Amino acid sequence: MKLLDIGLKDLVRSIRSAFFWMFGFGIPLLMVLIFYFAFGGLSSSDEGVSLPTTPVAVVNLDRPVPEFDDVSAGRMLADLLSMDGFDQLLDVTSYDRAKDARQAVDRQEAAVAVIIPPDFTATVFGSSGQTALELYQDPTLTIGPGVVEGIINQFLNAFVGSKIAVDVATEALSARGLAIEPGQLEAIADQYAEWASSTGGDLQPSQTPHLEVRLPAEQAAEGDPLADILGAIMAGMMVFYAFFTGAASSMTILQEAEGGTLSRMFTTPTRRSTILGGKFVTVFLTVIFQVVVLIAVSALIFGIQWGDPVPLAVAATSLVLLAASFGIFITSLLQGTQQTGIVYGGVMTVMGMIGMSQVFMMGAGTPPPAMEILPLVVPQGWAVRALDLVMGGGGLGNLLLPVAVMGGLSVILFFVGVFQFRKRFV
Amino acid sequence: MRIIDLMLKDLIQILRDWKAALFLIVMPIGFTLFFGFLFSGGGESDPRLAVAVVDRDETAVSARLIDFLAGSSVVRPVMTPGSSRDRLERQVAEDELAAVLLIPSGYQERLAAGEAPQLELILAPSEEVGGAAAQAIQTAVSRVTGAMKAARLTADTIETSDRSVETGALVTIFDRAIEAWEEPPVMLEVTQSDPASAVEEEIGASGMTFAHASPGMMVQFSIAGLMGAAEILVLERRSRSLQRLLTTAISRVEIILGHFSAMFIMIFLQLLLLIGFGQAVLGLNYLRAPLATGALVIAISLWTAALGLLIGVMAKTEEQAVIYSMIPMFVLSGLGGAWMPLEVTGETFQRIGYLLPTAWAMDGFRNILVRGLGLPSIVTGLGVMGAYAVTFFLLAVWRFRFES
Repeated sequence: MKLLDIGLKDLVRSIRSAFFWMFGFGIPLLMVLIFYFAFGGLSSSDEGVSLPTTPVAVVNLDRPVPEFDDVSAGRMLADLLSMDGFDQLLDVTSYDRAKDARQAVDRQEAAVAVIIPPDFTATVFGSSGQTALELYQDPTLTIGPGVVEGIINQFLNAFVGSKIAVDVATEALSARGLAIEPGQLEAIADQYAEWASSTGGDLQPSQTPHLEVRLPAEQAAEGDPLADILGAIMAGMMVFYAFFTGAASSMTILQEAEGGTLSRMFTTPTRRSTILGGKFVTVFLTVIFQVVVLIAVSALIFGIQWGDPVPLAVAATSLVLLAASFGIFITSLLQGTQQTGIVYGGVMTVMGMIGMSQVFMMGAGTPPPAMEILPLVVPQGWAVRALDLVMGGGGLGNLLLPVAVMGGLSVILFFVGVFQFRKRFV
Repeated sequence: MRIIDLMLKDLIQILRDWKAALFLIVMPIGFTLFFGFLFSGGGESDPRLAVAVVDRDETAVSARLIDFLAGSSVVRPVMTPGSSRDRLERQVAEDELAAVLLIPSGYQERLAAGEAPQLELILAPSEEVGGAAAQAIQTAVSRVTGAMKAARLTADTIETSDRSVETGALVTIFDRAIEAWEEPPVMLEVTQSDPASAVEEEIGASGMTFAHASPGMMVQFSIAGLMGAAEILVLERRSRSLQRLLTTAISRVEIILGHFSAMFIMIFLQLLLLIGFGQAVLGLNYLRAPLATGALVIAISLWTAALGLLIGVMAKTEEQAVIYSMIPMFVLSGLGGAWMPLEVTGETFQRIGYLLPTAWAMDGFRNILVRGLGLPSIVTGLGVMGAYAVTFFLLAVWRFRFES
């Protein structure tokens, strides 16, 4: 009973601390909130993640060719970029000179300049020659210029494909000694252009008949990529700060020892092991409180789907045991509170970052093979892995390995920590 | 002179605690290397997005499609003969693959017959990864189907002359069309400014991976370093040292300027050290525009020091000094684009970001390190940061109390 009294007293003291609220809840939630705003929370669209409009400078230097009925391929491209369908994606400004358009990019007024060459129509519709369409882009940007490049590629596919179709047909007919009749090549070009516009004219690959695009079954069922991103970040943050809470709660043992209050408590009829046990209970209670609040609050505010309750409870309990045991262990190795700065600020921060490194890699491309193993070098990595499995719909069976590792580590770290403290104080 | 004495006292007090080096130098360097390593692909030799290709057709057309993908600058095809479809799909879900492309058997035959067979594409849900992979795959598929369409149209024309075109001949015409795509009549040339090209040539792709992490962590940890400096002010107020100082010949203005100067020098030196690290170890060329870099460092040091003074004024306890330093550090770094380029965020987020000095600091470093620009390109940013410095400083002076 005394053990629980000590535990509850210290828990109340922790809860009264602004520091605990700040680092236990404030910062983890603030970090997720920033990402929430960054990736859709401030978006006007209902789809969550949205792309900002890309300012585009267009210079059409193309000269229409009378023999092609004054049709201008350059004007067609410029019109395509300005069409209503792209107004959410592109904000097009026309310039007369290539130099001005490039300067607009240099001044960061435009993300990319599309410079259509004077011989564009002549090359596209003519029988020979080669030309280049220039895409002058801001080197610090990737998404906006990528969108523009995609649209232009689709446009060129239709025109260049038409021309290639005509060239190939001319060559094949000649090789077979067949005469090219009037209108035959124009018919091929027209049919190709018609086919290209019906199949590849859209920006989104999902809208072309060549590809049946879908998400992996797991994601398709879950449906909300923003919630997935936030969920992964929240899980990482929770693990990161739960370990800090475990360590900071354990630090009260050192603080009380240095302040003399621990010695004073030892003069009371309460057994020393009970006093220390009470301190350990505080560590577990504080981390439980933090984890439960973070799971509940993040689910309410950000709509994070934490997965099925039973596997979640198992993963969260394993996290609490591991974070608290680790805190007791690492604090037991310290001589005094003066060493906590380097250990908590340095060692634990680095371990936490390694443990949640896969969260940082999210959306950055295919992770290198080393990234699969690296997080599991530290205890935090196993906790992140367990929560990730639960959030991905994993059941108890999937959790066996991470929970076994976390459980084993918890037992070892707890007993080593308790042994060290008992050696020092009991 | 008294200002300098007070400044030196503060600096000695800050730097005597070796733990200050942790926040000022060790952590920013560690985080820069960590993020640089993560976003460089961790030493992966081919940084392109991995796309698993399941080729059940195994024909000339499917081979050409895979060749096209192999030539892409965005994706790299990974042949996975032994892997099940479920396993590959799981790998996409777990971000191990950017996409899986399934080429069904009979693909060439149906394409040659003028039909429109579909390829199945299972795509990573991330807009950046999935979107980029889809665009590259779409381009390759368009080229291959376009080449077959050209071959089909040619064959139809030949057949109007009562000549038949066998599948082998059709594939030969298809191959010819594919070859023509290798040197198309209209090319798309992606260019950038001369200074930016010079920077890219100079530091290479590996240097570019640190061009965001290095200034980002520099900006973030310049705020983190305020913790210790603000604590000194809190301690002086609580121990009544500030009041005692007032009994000496030093004026109130000199006391405030002394503390402010200490913070300014501390951050200035921190930034110089981190820039030196970036220049010497990470291969970034901060000294390409020494005037611009110098002006930027001074501007950042000014507004950060003024913020530090304000924190020291507002905080009543050491605990509060830490909290008041950490909150602006996270908010200003996160919203100002120190963690991720503002380009990848939404429009409203970007607008909010550019209300903050951190976004302008990041923009300034990007202009120097990536765009290869100089002092004129950062003038607006210097103005914004200067305005923040003045505002923070005036607020701090207004709220300055010599007793607790």
